[in-house]
Amino acid sequence: MASKEFSLMRESWSMLLTYITALILVFVLTIHLLLESPLTGVPLEATLTFGYATGNLMYYKVVFGLLLFAAVIHGINGLRVIAIEWLHPRKKAWLVNLLAVVLIGFFLALGSYTLIAVT
Amino acid sequence: MAKTSRFKSGLISSLIPFGFNVERWGYVIHRVTGVILIGYLAAHLFETFQLSMGPGAWANTMSALHSLGPLEMVGLWLVAGSALYHGANGIRLVLNEVFGILMGKPIMPVYPYSPTSLGRNQKLAVWTITAVVLVLWLWAGLYLLAGLGVI
Repeated sequence: MASKEFSLMRESWSMLLTYITALILVFVLTIHLLLESPLTGVPLEATLTFGYATGNLMYYKVVFGLLLFAAVIHGINGLRVIAIEWLHPRKKAWLVNLLAVVLIGFFLALGSYTLIAVT
Repeated sequence: MAKTSRFKSGLISSLIPFGFNVERWGYVIHRVTGVILIGYLAAHLFETFQLSMGPGAWANTMSALHSLGPLEMVGLWLVAGSALYHGANGIRLVLNEVFGILMGKPIMPVYPYSPTSLGRNQKLAVWTITAVVLVLWLWAGLYLLAGLGVI
């Protein structure tokens, strides 16, 4: 009984995290898209050049850091929920959770390295 | 054997919203677009990682993407539509589930059990979101076609 209550509480926290990261994503993703949009006056092809892309990463590190954190947590947690709902891994739910944590760690490390390395 | 077929039938039916209300359609589209976006996020992170490897690696990545031809723009258009729908529907869900907006007042369940959470305002919100997303998706398509030099 105690473990069931703990499990429910854990999922509630995960849902809360999903809502918070979703709200962060709406704001930060809008900024990200505006930087690449026609509103900047820069043609689409020009936004894909090395100079423009690295310039954005250098000057908006906080925005991209926040975007990385929110997108990875929100996305992988969503995938974890779908996996648990579809697969019903009663005894191996911990494996799905572990895989989700590993994926979150991997993508956060990959994105963080990019943000730090591009100077 | 029976367990496997029951699992498969549950999996398939969870993706088919025909015969259900707009909320169920929203649920299915929200999940499908979410999975598309997660795939794009992974690819985008690997793509952006190439920036840390220098201009040569970035140029190679861009030329590999451009070699896909119009498929690249079609993919981006699908991602744009997914992001627009997932974001707009997500805002509606947060308003509903976190703040209780558009949910309606609870009533005694009387046959035919029409849920107050799917009242006129809720349906209006769903269709407004759909219309706005379709307009913005069309605009994104035109922008991408202009990027291709088609228009």
